Amino acid sequence: MSRTNDVYILAAKQISVQPPLTDEWMDAPVRYDAPCARAIDPDYRQHFAPNVARRLGKILKRAMLTSRQAMAASGVANPDAVVTATGLGCIENTELFLDALVREGEELLKPTCFMHSTHNAIGSLIAIDARCHGYNSTCVHKGISFECALDDAFAQLGSNRIQTALVGAHDEMTPSYFALLKRTGYLGHAPNGFSGEVALSMMLATTPGDSALCRLRGVELEYNPDAETLQKTLGRMLQSAQCSLEEVDAVMTGVSGLPSNDRVYASICPELLPNKKQLRYKHLFGESYTAPGLGVYAAAVCLCRQRIPAHLFVGGQSGEQRGVRHILCYNHFEGKNHSLILLSACGK
Amino acid sequence: MEELILQLKQEIIKVLNLEDVKPEDIADDAPLFGEGLGLDSIDALELIVLMEKMYGIKLQDPAQGREIFKSIRVMAEYIHANRSK
Amino acid sequence: MPTRVAVTGAGIVSALGAGREATLTALRERRTGIAPVRYLKTSHTEFPVGEVKLSNEEMEHMLRIPEPQATTRTMLMGVAAVREALEQACVRRGSGLRVALISGTTVGGMDKSEQYYLDFLENDTKNAYIATHDCGACTEMIADYFGIFSRVQTISTACSSAANAIMLGAMLVEEGRADVVVAGGSECLTKFHLNGFNTLMILDRHLCRPFDAHRAGLNLGEGAAYLVLEAEDTLGRRGVEPLCRISGYANTCDAYHQTASSPGGEGAYLSMAKALEVAQLAPKDISYINAHGTGTENNDLSEGRAIQRLFCNGVPPVSSTKSFTGHATSAAGGVEAVISMLALQHSFIPANLNFATPMPELSFTPDAGSDRPAPLRHVLSNSFGFGGNDTSLIFSKV
Repeated sequence: MSRTNDVYILAAKQISVQPPLTDEWMDAPVRYDAPCARAIDPDYRQHFAPNVARRLGKILKRAMLTSRQAMAASGVANPDAVVTATGLGCIENTELFLDALVREGEELLKPTCFMHSTHNAIGSLIAIDARCHGYNSTCVHKGISFECALDDAFAQLGSNRIQTALVGAHDEMTPSYFALLKRTGYLGHAPNGFSGEVALSMMLATTPGDSALCRLRGVELEYNPDAETLQKTLGRMLQSAQCSLEEVDAVMTGVSGLPSNDRVYASICPELLPNKKQLRYKHLFGESYTAPGLGVYAAAVCLCRQRIPAHLFVGGQSGEQRGVRHILCYNHFEGKNHSLILLSACGK
Repeated sequence: MEELILQLKQEIIKVLNLEDVKPEDIADDAPLFGEGLGLDSIDALELIVLMEKMYGIKLQDPAQGREIFKSIRVMAEYIHANRSK
Repeated sequence: MPTRVAVTGAGIVSALGAGREATLTALRERRTGIAPVRYLKTSHTEFPVGEVKLSNEEMEHMLRIPEPQATTRTMLMGVAAVREALEQACVRRGSGLRVALISGTTVGGMDKSEQYYLDFLENDTKNAYIATHDCGACTEMIADYFGIFSRVQTISTACSSAANAIMLGAMLVEEGRADVVVAGGSECLTKFHLNGFNTLMILDRHLCRPFDAHRAGLNLGEGAAYLVLEAEDTLGRRGVEPLCRISGYANTCDAYHQTASSPGGEGAYLSMAKALEVAQLAPKDISYINAHGTGTENNDLSEGRAIQRLFCNGVPPVSSTKSFTGHATSAAGGVEAVISMLALQHSFIPANLNFATPMPELSFTPDAGSDRPAPLRHVLSNSFGFGGNDTSLIFSKV
């Protein structure tokens, strides 16, 4: 099946460690020194009736609100597909249930905690809230979960199976899970980056509407690729988008300040993406399994506003850049999973 | 009985996270499900856990809950007659 | 002409045994794998379960996993099933093919997490199992055992996870984004979800009775099952024969409730109807429905009504093989895909065990199975998950 459609990002709404539901981080980013930061939650009472939200944990409230706002901003009330990414799912409810199970035994456990412990509770809630009977899937693959979801939606939009898709990236972090992931070396070695939380909903469509942020041109995933494979994959993606590497203005990477993470970019980027200016997003949003979603969001906002603020450039390579045509997002997770995403300004 | 009714209302508000609801907002004879408080089948399961935890009453069949959870008063009367703690 | 998706390999581990042969034999002999709890360390021994009758140590030995490696039960069952599927499809290391693994799971490494939870919080002795907890970790451990996968991803839509992995795999093949896809799911029993289902009060203390008027809930099971998928027009190049074809698929959402299905089975109806549309088939073309049929009051009524609405007076034979395997949750869609394929290949309708009394709300009763050969053309397999994540797959004779 060949690609027949262009794909646009119509709207993207986030709740994260930056001010919620705005793009304020562009000019007034909140800075963090602590190893673990929780998202800045809006006042949900202004958005939901108490009876609607009473059972929902944070991750579910955030997902429901960002989804509603992405739908409202894009004018798509009933997307053809809801594709949700979450690396760890609803860990707050999972921990409540597991803790009670281990400490108090196999009696008197709470059904609500179990019901909201499954990863797909997020995507289901969005569908129930918006009455979406279409395709509904949840991608749960570590640091590449978001890219898997984006890839699924992008492929289905491109091959005309669907015309609109709500793609989400949702991960919460609890103090106890943070402590565990710190021991595995993945998180929390201040000052080398910090752990954040993600709630991101973006609307994708095959037509740009009045106010698309940017175009989505390609998504590629590779598992344990060698340098040659990665090179080929990048070439294939650029070719299908009829874009050359020279035309790419900058590369949004997942550098976080954690040496074991950044080392991989340092070894791959010079050869794969020679002389390309590198951008970052984890200094703003922190580390989490679905953080790459926020990287794509940040790149999309830059393309829409036609400027890249100075603080996004790695190592102060540049001042603010005006005029942006193409941004390539390159992320890896633990050196095993690699993803490439190409975004272009509308009309380019 | 009045004491039990008040205690039940407080527990239900806590367990079901009924923000903004006060005990006096819940009428003793008003239906808990559908109309009235607007509870659903998952709330019924939470109430079954509550009855076992607080009063030592173990229901085997969720269908029994439909009768017992008609209103706070019916629930209190059932607890009064069957409690083991 | 759109690319057609062939199934060239299948692997399965379930309560019925390890491998396709054991599965086929048990199905034909109408021998259930559901039994009292033996391996899971739970106090809820009142619930029969469909366990894989192998300990973790036995599986590690069988698969020659090196001793110091941290493993989970979901991973071990997954490796066993993927190995059988790859062998049948003759996919080997160094083939130069772009091979993808798409796996469905929800509990992931929860078996070890619930066992070592207090250690995680209090000391450093079990840190290796922190990293095996999440769903993606299980899939990568399966992938790394073989070292042939260039694309690895995980789907979690509760009890339709494996079916959605297979659907996604079929789309990857159709779009030429992978040469070969291994898709399915793996899920071990855990105290976590046994207790979770118990809080929802939907576990039967007896053998489950799908589509029976007196059904009283489901029996949980466990297992792993995967299919190897590839484009039909390139099979010749690899010199492999198709076992069957995936001709239709659909994923829809009931959008009704987090754990209950809508009374009319809207999502179930839509997924079956859409799968038929994708396959360009009419309801009358379906020769057998492998139902989701959990045995809960809610599912069987909702699914039954949806089947009735779609098939009207022409409901084909329907059975739920969960009466054999128990409900293998995230792996169920894979287990039932392999069973559907075996039914097609061997021309028989698997029985719906433990049925006695028709449901007054339904015009059809589940199939009791028979020894007479049943020439099947197209089999519809349903997998419905919490949250109304409903998926239907159609398997067809080549």
